[in-house]
Amino acid sequence: MSAIAVRTRPAKRARNRRLSRIIRSPRLARVLSWIAFLVIWQVSIPLLPTLLVPTPAEVAEFMWDEIRGDTLAPQTVYQAFGTSLGRLSLGLAIAFAIGLPIGLLMGLSKKASWFGHDFVVVGLAMPSLVWALIAAMWFGFGTIAPLITVVLAAWTFVAINVAEGVRNVPKDLLDMGKAYGVTRFDSIRYVILPSLMPFFFAALRYALANAWKGLVLAELFASTNGAGWTIKFWYDAHRAQGIIGYALFFVIFALIVERLIFGRLSAYVFRWRPQPGARKEGE
Amino acid sequence: MSSIATAPPPAPVPTTGAAVAQARKKAERRSRWLWRALGYATFLAIWQFTSTYLVQDFILPPPGVIAEEMWGIVTSDQLVTHFAATLQVIAIGFGIAFVLGTVIGIAMGRSRWWEGFLGDWVMVTLTTPGLVFALVCAMVFGLSELGPIVCVVVTAFSYVAVNVVEGVKAAPKDLGDMARAFNVPGHRALRHILLPFLAPFFFTAARYGFSVSWKIATLIEVIVGTEGIGFMMRREFQSFNMAGFLAWVLLFFALALFLERGVLQQLMNRANRWRPEVAK
Repeated sequence: MSAIAVRTRPAKRARNRRLSRIIRSPRLARVLSWIAFLVIWQVSIPLLPTLLVPTPAEVAEFMWDEIRGDTLAPQTVYQAFGTSLGRLSLGLAIAFAIGLPIGLLMGLSKKASWFGHDFVVVGLAMPSLVWALIAAMWFGFGTIAPLITVVLAAWTFVAINVAEGVRNVPKDLLDMGKAYGVTRFDSIRYVILPSLMPFFFAALRYALANAWKGLVLAELFASTNGAGWTIKFWYDAHRAQGIIGYALFFVIFALIVERLIFGRLSAYVFRWRPQPGARKEGE
Repeated sequence: MSSIATAPPPAPVPTTGAAVAQARKKAERRSRWLWRALGYATFLAIWQFTSTYLVQDFILPPPGVIAEEMWGIVTSDQLVTHFAATLQVIAIGFGIAFVLGTVIGIAMGRSRWWEGFLGDWVMVTLTTPGLVFALVCAMVFGLSELGPIVCVVVTAFSYVAVNVVEGVKAAPKDLGDMARAFNVPGHRALRHILLPFLAPFFFTAARYGFSVSWKIATLIEVIVGTEGIGFMMRREFQSFNMAGFLAWVLLFFALALFLERGVLQQLMNRANRWRPEVAK
């Protein structure tokens, strides 16, 4: 403390400079943006044309209750996400089982690619909402409609990426392998599979993203449990803190999937690469 | 896009066999159209067969019934009413989202501070499912017309912003420096250096933003709309009228895909024709 009393001019200038650096730092900007967001949220509640908007504190309370497993909904957040996750993984497995052979065929044969290309592209562009509603009309309430939605929303992404991957298998490496008498098994294991892997990952990523959106919608329209249905439950109960709280759970869930599962998996699969991230598929 | 950009240029056709190569190309094109037509024919045949023999009409109506239904919609005045309602929401919402996203993108691309301030929110709105925004907007705004527009803005602006950020960050600094050294006035530098460079990013932003906009607009109309494509989809859904549902879906998605792939992509190719490495 005594140092302040005897500080000299240069010290003061250095202090000012440090202060301005702190003010200009992106990290402070980040903190400020969160504070600004919460303040705007809190202030704008009376301005909105409804009484249903919750305060940040109410949302936090809701989330804390959910995390402790104390909820008014029939399913806790763990059960809801568990149900959805089960449907998602089963549906994705089926989508891969369908999309993989079609993708292989379309990648290997030009004719097959011309034959099916337009349908796959329409399937890619079709919003998952449509699949969810169609599956709901076909199968009614239950487990099957969400499952079918996942399959319908995901398989085209698998097919198109696998086809692209097959077209990108390095032919010269295969030729060289043949010239040196590499066995068929080894050339599949060491040439074809590694070169397919980036496309596999792209397929999984896009299929997962689209299927998840479709699944939530299908549960909303045609199910009696799962994460999508629980959101609908809070919507019907006019509890916006439930919807926003679940939205934040969705974001957390997406982050976990992205960081933990995809990060770990791709680090493992691509461990042979000299530099992770420096990838050039065209070469 | 990246694989296209890094792909080597096509090998030159040997001039000696030019005629042969051309004939082969022609044959290939013919065979391509043949197979494509075969694909459509097979698809329609399977559909017709399934709906005639395997399942009942309300599960999968035959293509003819849907075509009839579509014709009925096109000739009635319903088409104009509901298409206009949805397209209006998309146009206003996407317009605001594009301006907002561009401003945010430029701010984030030029200043680290703004990047820190806005970065998290762009990422969060990007990863939150559209359904959540739709439900919250439905709850806050009820049946008012503001709800769908706000929802489109909130969902689409981040897609625009991330693309603009990419562009602004990648803008050629050396050309800007050179323009300054040669005293090129600001507006000319903007017109001849920055805008041409940013054009592909703006178009990508517009394509993604538009694609998200029309999907979210129909979604929120399904939930709370009083008119529009989504509203009609919900009405047909609730009365279990598969033919009507598919007719509305096919009509609207044909239009949306035409705008997205046809119009926007063509504009993009035109704007990019001076840059062979990004033009498709």
